[in-house]
Amino acid sequence: MAQLLDLAVSALLLGGLYATMAYGLGLIYGVLRVVNLAHGGVIMTGAYLGWVLHERLGIDPYLGLPIVAVVCFALGVVLYRGVCARLPRGAAGGAPSLLLLFGVWLVLRNIAYLVFTGNDRVIRTSYSTESLPFLGTFLSINRLAVLGISLLVPIALHLLFSRSLLGKAMRAVAQDADSCTLVGVDVERIYSLTFGIGTALGGIAGLLSATLFAFGPAFGAGELLKSFVVVVLGGLGSVGGTFVAALILALVEVFSILLLPAYLTPAVGFVLLVVVLVLRPGGLWGQRVLG
Amino acid sequence: MLVYSRRFTVIRGLCLATALAFGGSCKKPAPSPEERTEIRIGATLPLTGAEARIGGFFKEGYELAIEQANQQGGLQLGARRLPVKLTLLDDTTNQATAVSLADRLVNSDKVDFLLGTYSTSLVEAQSSVAEQNHVPYVNGGGAATATYQRKYQYLFGLLAPVELLGRTLMQWIDDQQKAGKLPRPSRIALLWENTSHGKDFRRGVSEFAKQAAGSYELVVDESFELNGKDFSALLGKVKAAHADLLLADAHLPDYITLQRQYVSAGLCHQLLSYGARGAEGAAREALGQENVSYILSAVWWSAALAEKSALSKQFVELFRAKYQRLPDWYQALGYETARVLLAAIQQAGGSDREAVRQVLATLKLPSLLPGGEVSFPAAQGGQAYYPFVVQQNLPDGSSPIIYPKEIASAEGVAKNPRCGAH
Repeated sequence: MAQLLDLAVSALLLGGLYATMAYGLGLIYGVLRVVNLAHGGVIMTGAYLGWVLHERLGIDPYLGLPIVAVVCFALGVVLYRGVCARLPRGAAGGAPSLLLLFGVWLVLRNIAYLVFTGNDRVIRTSYSTESLPFLGTFLSINRLAVLGISLLVPIALHLLFSRSLLGKAMRAVAQDADSCTLVGVDVERIYSLTFGIGTALGGIAGLLSATLFAFGPAFGAGELLKSFVVVVLGGLGSVGGTFVAALILALVEVFSILLLPAYLTPAVGFVLLVVVLVLRPGGLWGQRVLG
Repeated sequence: MLVYSRRFTVIRGLCLATALAFGGSCKKPAPSPEERTEIRIGATLPLTGAEARIGGFFKEGYELAIEQANQQGGLQLGARRLPVKLTLLDDTTNQATAVSLADRLVNSDKVDFLLGTYSTSLVEAQSSVAEQNHVPYVNGGGAATATYQRKYQYLFGLLAPVELLGRTLMQWIDDQQKAGKLPRPSRIALLWENTSHGKDFRRGVSEFAKQAAGSYELVVDESFELNGKDFSALLGKVKAAHADLLLADAHLPDYITLQRQYVSAGLCHQLLSYGARGAEGAAREALGQENVSYILSAVWWSAALAEKSALSKQFVELFRAKYQRLPDWYQALGYETARVLLAAIQQAGGSDREAVRQVLATLKLPSLLPGGEVSFPAAQGGQAYYPFVVQQNLPDGSSPIIYPKEIASAEGVAKNPRCGAH
């Protein structure tokens, strides 16, 4: 029983991390219909930004979150204006966008190699290994913080989509960009802001991951894959579905250790992805437009 | 242009005729021993990518050995002294790159000999190029026994088998158990990375446990993916098993990630080891001294050996003079690997690859490695075989040798005092 509780807590905390990593990817796909393969590079960039703020300027990683978010937002806007805006809109931009954004990822990775070398880095704070006792188990403070942020993000996104003009415009553009152009919505501006917000969410995920794991320039590849699984499972474009899908993925991965050797557990998520794609191609909650 | 083309055609024709007549080619022939002005050694190391930090350590060792040889006027080959030139390339911790760069070093850069890269998987792949081209390949980065069971003739490894590492750790643990410091039977949680390195470690520990019937019980025996991120489920299993000892085999990044999650999960075992990892400065920085204290590691060399061995002392002094810090075992193995190859070239009296291979195959050279002598027994497939040294991190930041007894400078702590605090 104690082991089951341990595993359930681990799954909940891991689910929070997966959700945080996936929100940015899901948002950009939901509005722009672009699979942002640079998302792994953005996660890595967020991790390094957090590291620089902590190591060089002494800023606590959680206090550095807004700074990382703003810098990554600006990076996203620049990336959109400089790269993605040149692609055809919608599905027509699919294949070229994949190649282009994969190229952006490689560029980001190599810049990191040049600036930071290939050495692994870690963000170590006074509370890095601290935990709180809970029903006979221990909850890592860092992981709890990640879980908290992973719950706050969908609430913030929900408020953005339902209460603000920008959010409503984003939903409208996600439904039909051409019609939005006809009624006077500046679609390019909405795209660029969405790409910025998605990139900021990726940067936040990177910084949060860096408080948990060692990272280097190659960081982000595994995170991109997990994010992709979560977004597809949750239904592309569904923010709430993303959180639930992240939780399901984490539960399946963590509890599979009771039946499978540990080295096979990372593969379980991909098996789940294939099964869901075969049975429910639109994801567990179907395809939505920023629901 | 026309003149050039005609001349070029004539040269090509002459080449073709020569090739047909002698069965050779028009490639630039290797210089004769009299024409030779230097000994060319090629190597790749993971200077970027996952193993970049360790690759950098090996680079320091290689460069120190070559620099030392050149400061002495180069290698004494018969009546002449020739300088050594090292061509070092970055294989980016990638198997395919390691293989293609080794091919380039041999067939395009025309190096005479190869020094190996770091990490078992890269050495395993790259050594095939050396074997195909009949180039002696001396490495200090591949320890898995499977690498040396392929009956390669040109492959020589300075890392003793990881299986022996596991067994040496168990020998010290066994001594502690017999002294009544550990419970009998001791419940062992065994975690190993899913690589040939990890499998060797597992074999060493589990076979020792099996032979000492009744003394040990393996309650967890699990492998994990290299460069993993989340070990919480695995650690949950370890916790549920109520083991006395946690013995893991992990590379540096996984050791740091695992240990951080281990501490956060509130786990504590009477003995904790990550195989060859434990005493690295990078881990102390990443985890904090309090979180690495009392971790055991069994390594191929320790700076503490300088107190017992003249060669180790000389190396430590050389290294400190150049880099202003103490070396880890990585730099020592890098240095010794290059030094052994240079000694073999000198003993062979030239750059003839076959002669150098034969010298390496029968070599018995005084060494800074534990045991004091390095050789490449044919029975081990050219892999050196010597005792490991067990060390333990202490709260004061030192990692003294605690086993074997003959060279130990401290007595190990068998029951982790930190566990009492939980």
